[in-house]
Amino acid sequence: MGDQLPAIIVLAPMFGAMFVGLFGNRDHRVCFPIVFASLLISLCASIAAAQQVFTSGEVIDYFMAGWEEPIGIGIHLRIDSLNALILVLISVVVVLVSFFSIRRAGDQHTEKTPQFYILYLLLCVGLLGISITGDAFNLFVLVEVSSLTSYGLVAMGSSRRGTHAALNYLLMGTVGASFYLLGVGYLYLKTGTLNMQDIHAILQANGEIAESNAVSIAFLLILVGIWIKMAFFPLHGWLPNAYSYCPSTSACLLAPLMTKVSVYVMVRVMIGVFGVEWVFVNLGWSHLVVWLAVIAILAGSMLALAQREIKKMLCYLIVAEVGYMVGGAWLSDPDHWGLTGSLYHILADAMMTLCLFLAAGVFAKRLGAIEIKDLEGLFKKMPLTSVAFVIAALGMIGVPPTAGFYSKFYLIRGAIEGGHWEYVAALLISSLVNAVLFFRIFEIAFFGNKPAEGHGHDDHHEEETPNLEAPWSALFPLLASAAIIILLGLFNGPIVDLLRESLEHLPSIVTTQAD
Amino acid sequence: MITKVLATLAVVITGAILLYGTADFPAFGDPNSPASAGVEGGAPSISQYYITKSYDDTKVPNLVTSVLADYRGYDTMFETVVVFAAGMAIFAILRVFREDDDGVPNATHSNGNSFTDGDHSRIIVGTTVRIVVPVIQLFSLYVVAHGHHSPGGGFQGGVILGASFIILALATDLETALSRFSEKSYFALAAIGILIYAGFGVLCQVLGSDFLDYGVLQKIFLTDGPEMARSHSMLGVEVGVAFTVTGIMFAIYANLSSRGTLKSGL
Repeated sequence: MGDQLPAIIVLAPMFGAMFVGLFGNRDHRVCFPIVFASLLISLCASIAAAQQVFTSGEVIDYFMAGWEEPIGIGIHLRIDSLNALILVLISVVVVLVSFFSIRRAGDQHTEKTPQFYILYLLLCVGLLGISITGDAFNLFVLVEVSSLTSYGLVAMGSSRRGTHAALNYLLMGTVGASFYLLGVGYLYLKTGTLNMQDIHAILQANGEIAESNAVSIAFLLILVGIWIKMAFFPLHGWLPNAYSYCPSTSACLLAPLMTKVSVYVMVRVMIGVFGVEWVFVNLGWSHLVVWLAVIAILAGSMLALAQREIKKMLCYLIVAEVGYMVGGAWLSDPDHWGLTGSLYHILADAMMTLCLFLAAGVFAKRLGAIEIKDLEGLFKKMPLTSVAFVIAALGMIGVPPTAGFYSKFYLIRGAIEGGHWEYVAALLISSLVNAVLFFRIFEIAFFGNKPAEGHGHDDHHEEETPNLEAPWSALFPLLASAAIIILLGLFNGPIVDLLRESLEHLPSIVTTQAD
Repeated sequence: MITKVLATLAVVITGAILLYGTADFPAFGDPNSPASAGVEGGAPSISQYYITKSYDDTKVPNLVTSVLADYRGYDTMFETVVVFAAGMAIFAILRVFREDDDGVPNATHSNGNSFTDGDHSRIIVGTTVRIVVPVIQLFSLYVVAHGHHSPGGGFQGGVILGASFIILALATDLETALSRFSEKSYFALAAIGILIYAGFGVLCQVLGSDFLDYGVLQKIFLTDGPEMARSHSMLGVEVGVAFTVTGIMFAIYANLSSRGTLKSGL
């Protein structure tokens, strides 16, 4: 069984989806148990795989259909210490969101519950498959699976704006995927293989190919394709509407995972396919990309500041956070603290985004709160939800015990060592903006909307506030994600050690004498 | 106006970059290009491998099928999943369950022959379709089953089979077609198709090998060696693909043509 783990991680949700398709239409009550069981299997398998990777320190290779030699004829799945953590992250998030979906899925489209869950599970298959694969074309196929399902999930909402946003998302997403595919095509023409390891070996060994224009353009195409998928600033247009007008469960699933998995793909392509040395030394785009990231961070933060709707604001914060991660990955400091911080921030940001979007979903459902000003008296109305929301907000600001603080710490360390002071400044400004944004919400939530009138006048208001606390199906994932944000922060040392170890083990990392 | 200018600019720049990249491509049809001959420092060329070894490995004369369904069968499975997901997304977006139609006039399809009911032009179309549909369906089965030896396979055969139901719906009306191929059955067919494909994979795992490693299925197919087992399994997964594609083809048509009501379409 042990050596079948990579296949089980990806296939469990796929079988779940098919069983929902077969049996879910007859009785909608069987949907959730099937979904939950298959995601749980996936979670257990990815934890087991991660444990195996970290205890043995070896990479799990899995050759689909057993085609191992010569390398590249079959499809190669590969779990190393880098994607083991991402796999665990994805499966934790999808299990948590599945709780949230219990009531939500039925809300708007009772008849479509099975289809909703099928799309949900297939999205999980896509994301897990993207993270686990060692084949550049297989990655594209799974990007297709995850994109197509996410268009469906976004468009399922009842609002017309949601459908429109989904169309926009579809067009942009397709352009992104096409760019990626074109890049892979260029790469295949020059190297004759699709296996990531093999491409990497060829680029390392064969200087003539590595320096050809076609390979640089392949990298550019792949990079732009992934940037569209992750909503990196000038290419972010599809994200805010798509994530704010879609059903809450879809938002909770997509917002933490899609962009973060795309960042992982970018890092994987940089270090696993082209190689860090090639990207940073041969190409020398580091300064340019970091500046783009600086612009993304500042623009995302400023746009977030201008929003009135809660979800829109969170969406622009995602745009800013994507800037953090892209910038961090490209800092090219000698000890790779930037890359470490960026990877750590994938974990931290996924959990923070999850928590915030869950909270926003609860606000919309229980309070009907779409705009920030509707959050009046929030802390009284739903204390536990507020606790989780505050923890995630503090994480976004970067207050010490939370994960958000440590990721910023490592990112800034990388920026200082790499000499990218503009990135340090952008990070600090963005933290400041986050502080302003969230403390504004806290103020409204605590003191109410009318600061001019003083607090005394609101008293009679608060007495009659009913208990609007979210149901356990929403509270559990909320509190769990908040707890994980703090745990990630408290155990940042071991996690960062694991990440750094994984970076050092990757053949392409140039280990410097300083480390 | 400004967006148009910007869009044109983006297209021109992208095109220029793509063209610039082609400058150091290997010549068209060059036998020594990396894709055909492999490169120094890498693994031996995979296309050489496919060309020289695939028949020995799988006993399937059609090289494309053996690459698609065996060497890269994992990709093909997910391509089928993409088709399935498209059907689900169409259903999730378009399907409406309201009792009242939105303004589509009631075509009364009472008892009687729906092929030839109505005006005279339908008699010709209906009769032709009645003759042609079985032939199309038979041909689609041939395309599926003969994918090993000639161009064809699950996707193509499935599309043809799905098209035979669409032609039925076009010639008569959607409800006649749905009475033969109901919503429940096409979605079940689609899910079963993927289960067949993945089931072959899991069967290989149960018998102690990797996912989709059809060679071990010789214990079940009782063939002489793993090669014929691979060949038979490829036929099996092609059938699975055909199921899914058939179901989803018709599902997409039914939902699009009736605006999701599944009542009298085009």
